[in-house]
Amino acid sequence: MEGIGRGACMWRGLASSVLGCAGILFAVGPLAAQTAEEIVDQVDRLLRGESSQGVVGMEVITEHWSRAYEMRIWSLGTEYSLIRILSPRKDAGTATLKAGNDIWNYLPRVDRSIKLPPSLMGGAWMGSHFTNDDLVKESRIIEDYHIEIGYEGVRDGVAVWEFVLTPKPEAAVVWGRIEERVRQDDLMPIWARYYDDRGELARTMTFQDFKIMGGRLVPARMDVVPADKPNERTTILYEELEFDVEIDESFFSLRRLQSEAR
Amino acid sequence: MVGEKRWWRIGWRNLGRNRRRSIVTASALAIGYFSVVLMVGLLQGLVAEMVENGTGIVTGQLQVHADDYLPDKEVYATIGGRDGADVATLVATIRADPAVVAATPRVYGGGLVSTGTATAPALFLGVDPELEPQVSKLMESLERGRHPVAGAYEVLIGSEMARTLGAEPGDEIVVVAPAIDGSLGNDLFVVAGVFHSGLVDLDRALALFPLDVLQALMAMPPSRVHEIAARVPDPWVAAEVATRLAAELERGSFPVSAESWMTLRPEMVEYAKLSEAMEWVLMVIVFAMAIFGVANTMLMATFERRYEFALLRALGATPGAVVRSVLYEAVALGTIALAAGVAITMPVLVWWYHAPPSVSWLFGETTLSGALMRPVLRVEYPWLMGGAAAAALFGTAVVAALYPAIRAARVSPADTLSGR
Repeated sequence: MEGIGRGACMWRGLASSVLGCAGILFAVGPLAAQTAEEIVDQVDRLLRGESSQGVVGMEVITEHWSRAYEMRIWSLGTEYSLIRILSPRKDAGTATLKAGNDIWNYLPRVDRSIKLPPSLMGGAWMGSHFTNDDLVKESRIIEDYHIEIGYEGVRDGVAVWEFVLTPKPEAAVVWGRIEERVRQDDLMPIWARYYDDRGELARTMTFQDFKIMGGRLVPARMDVVPADKPNERTTILYEELEFDVEIDESFFSLRRLQSEAR
Repeated sequence: MVGEKRWWRIGWRNLGRNRRRSIVTASALAIGYFSVVLMVGLLQGLVAEMVENGTGIVTGQLQVHADDYLPDKEVYATIGGRDGADVATLVATIRADPAVVAATPRVYGGGLVSTGTATAPALFLGVDPELEPQVSKLMESLERGRHPVAGAYEVLIGSEMARTLGAEPGDEIVVVAPAIDGSLGNDLFVVAGVFHSGLVDLDRALALFPLDVLQALMAMPPSRVHEIAARVPDPWVAAEVATRLAAELERGSFPVSAESWMTLRPEMVEYAKLSEAMEWVLMVIVFAMAIFGVANTMLMATFERRYEFALLRALGATPGAVVRSVLYEAVALGTIALAAGVAITMPVLVWWYHAPPSVSWLFGETTLSGALMRPVLRVEYPWLMGGAAAAALFGTAVVAALYPAIRAARVSPADTLSGR
């Protein structure tokens, strides 16, 4: 139950993580005089209206099994995304559509689409270590978190900022605190650490393999490791990525969710 | 022994001195006995109802798992690990215990059930449709439709779930379950039936599948199950059976653990203990009150007979003999009271046991320590407490008579007889 609930979120998380990286990237520019809030806000604003498409590999390693997926993704702003599994064969064709607040899953085996209620959007899917907060992070970060610079200086020979995000009292968010290290020169994220409401580390996301894709610098590899199971991880590898593609809202339809799989 | 008989006779006759008073006093004791036994019977009925329903609806009185299954209930922790077990042999071994009348394998999972637009999270339970009804009552609570058949892609869902989904028997629903190989199991199922257990959590969240079909959906071979549940008709021996089975199964090639409902549902054991303590408190209160009532009457009776006691003493009766005569009177009173008490209690208890009155006008189905309670006032036969109450009744009569008896023995023959 929880597993599947997490599932939806994985999709959202994945789509938004793509956007998230891109978003941070779009924010390249003079930043010296900006506050932490402004930096993140700029990232947030830059996200809107952007579209992307690409092919992503996802490797999930758990204590009991490991699986590698390949999937094609499309996204438009933070409101729309479509993700379709290309392989392995058993799951190929399975797709998820996020349009506004609605999430639909298409299951090719039964040729049905099912709508997920909002209550099922927390957690991870197929044991992947993405959560709903990955989406929250992108779409409501300014509204839900106080953002300040926890550290500004040189770490491991690289000039970085370390942002500390603490939820505002009224914010309904999963995390008790988020810390994120970002490179100053190109705004590439290095890692993000997510703490639960008791202040304990819940998971760590690391970014690496920075390269130009679709004309922009992106971290082509992201790893998520849960703190309580250090031997488990989910790795996202961007294989193809294009930005500002010609798609609009009508692309993200239920009809497309079902028809293209056949 | 002749002496004993005589004292008995004196005690008995003394009761006849003031018959009305003796009857009232004996009635007080008899009603005290009746109240205690009936209240204890009701308390035990409540506990029996809780335990029977709490263990009978799904849990079973006994469960066998892989030793690492509890408390996390991970879907991977099947009996025998990755290789699984010879399920039929395991079931037969458990069934072979003399206290076990039925055993059945189960598989648990979690996922989604959906009609398309309406989707609900669900707890999946894979059962053997033939064996399961011998262990649990869940399938008895079928409200409409029929039970799923082994091998068929059919599901039995709870009434609340049916309402959420807008699904009726015969409808098709999509079932999605993360499989143990990491894939996303999904298939179309027909709603065979809808059950209503009365337990909201079950009615909202539980979906029952034929064992083999759920295993297939979750990419599990038939040799992998999470649990063997067993029925032990006397729930109070289940812990003993669990220990016995654990020792028996330990000889197998894989680690398993056997738990009785007492381990699985400790809250019910706590309630039963509390209830038992209440029984004793109840008895102490009722008979403590009776002691003063009886003592008062006996004081009156002995005071009225003080000339008689003085005469007895003057004729050579020892103080001990006087005490004895009063105590025997109390014992005789107790005997009558007990006979009367049993005579009124037993028929009421038997009638109540066989026709427990419904209190549905007062409240509907409710839950106690997570167990469903029917709105009936059920009694159990409280044999042990019935005996204890009989002893308490005699004790009350004798203790209450002790002080009046001592006072009677201290009567000064000369002073009393001379009217001083």
